[in-house]
This record gives sequence, C-alpha cells and structure tokens, in this order.
Amino acid sequence: MAGLIKNLRVTKTGPGSRSLEEAQQRATDFFREACRALPSIMERYNLYEVITLSDLRSKIASEFRKHHHNTNPKVIDMLVFKGREELQYCIDHSKQRHHLLTQYIVGREGLTGDVLKLGEAFKGESDFLKNFYRGNN
Amino acid sequence: MQAARSSTLRALHSAVLQHLRVQPAQIGSTWGLFRAISAEAHAQGTCLSRSQVADRVLSVLKSSAKVDPLTVSETASFQNDLQLDTLDQVEIMMAIEDEFALEIPDADADNMKSTKDVIEYVVSHPRAK
Repeated sequence: MAGLIKNLRVTKTGPGSRSLEEAQQRATDFFREACRALPSIMERYNLYEVITLSDLRSKIASEFRKHHHNTNPKVIDMLVFKGREELQYCIDHSKQRHHLLTQYIVGREGLTGDVLKLGEAFKGESDFLKNFYRGNN
Repeated sequence: MQAARSSTLRALHSAVLQHLRVQPAQIGSTWGLFRAISAEAHAQGTCLSRSQVADRVLSVLKSSAKVDPLTVSETASFQNDLQLDTLDQVEIMMAIEDEFALEIPDADADNMKSTKDVIEYVVSHPRAK
C-alpha cells in the first residue's frame, strides 16, 4: 500500500516561529521561493498566451497581501505551510491548467469582476456579465 | 582504364581542393582575434553601462502597477518616496532579477532600499545582462 503512494513527502513543521518578525521573514522567504518557481510553472502549464510573468507575480503578491493583517506568528506559519503545499502541487503538475486559471489568474471574482484587467487572453470578453450582476441599468 | 580514371579523378580532386583550401595562417589569425575579443569582454565583467542599467531599472519600476510613475527617480527610496511596503519591495527585487537575469541573494536584496542601491548593485554585478 505504501508503495502506491509515490509522491508522499514526510514533512515536519519544526519548532515554529518565536516572534512576529521571524514569521514575517519566513513569509517573505516563501514569497521569493514562489516567485523563483514561476517561470517553470508558466512553462509547465503553457501560460504564455494567458498572462505575463510580471502579472502572475503581482497576482501571487496580492494573494499574500490578503493575509497581511495577521499578527499571530502561528497563523502566519500555518499559512506559509499551506502555501508551500500549494506551490508544491503546482510545481509537481498535481494541479491542472484550469485550476490555475480559475484559482489564480482569473481569480475569485471570475468573469463578473473587471474583465479588462485579466489580460491578453480575455481581450475579446465584454463587460456584460459585470453589468448584468450589478443590476438593470 | 581504371588507372586512367582514378588518376584523372585524383587530378580533379586535388584541383578542386586547391581551389577550396583556405590558408591556415589567415584563419588562425581571425580566430585568435575573435577569441581575444570575447575573452577580454568576459574578463572585464558586465558590458552594461550605468545609464543603460538606470533606464532599465526605472522602466521596471514604472511598469509595476503599485508604483506611481511620477515619483520614480534615480534617488527614490522605496519606503519613503514610492510608498512600497516589504512585500512590494520583494516583488520589485524579483522583477529586477528577471530583467537582468540575475539571482540576488536574500541578504543583498534586503539591504537595497532605494533605486540608487539597485542600480549600483546591478552595475557592479559581473553577470548582469
């Protein structure tokens, strides 16, 4: 049974951060690691037509910024751990292209958000859905 | 008959070769010159001039969505002038790394607090493209 689990990684979390600064330093290091992995992710999932590298980097930065307000080092450690897991899935190709497109590139708002900001791949899309959801104007 | 043919062939062969043969002395000198030029360029470090580096760094900053292009200058401090927090600063450093095909170690990246620091670092880096 254990032989079937090919990608199982035994991970240990270690002692954890003692202070907020240390936890923030871990988060910054993880952000750098993620940014350095981005070119290979773009290559693997063939995202060249969909988004540019700097836009993808900005989107990842905004994902980090969502949790900017946290002050508990344990929470930050947990977030970094989950983020590392997510990054590992992306690098390993455990995720698929549509996962990345809907979760990161198009984002939570989907096509009801600002479509024009989504970049080259969505150039032909109209603002119809956004106006539709907003109301009968 | 065979001998005649082979001898004419041989004659033809040598005639063609003589026509095509390049003088070794000429090739030696040009190749040597080429090697000397490339070695010299490699030895003196980066081929980028300071103005080139400054232009590229400023364009990277201006194209970043979080930076107001009017406040960007060669002496702009990231925290005070450009109003960037630590996450933005790391993002800018990654953009600089991509632009110049470098890999900046974390300690150096943390020390760079203004545009001037970045320009100085890239100009003095031997591998900057």
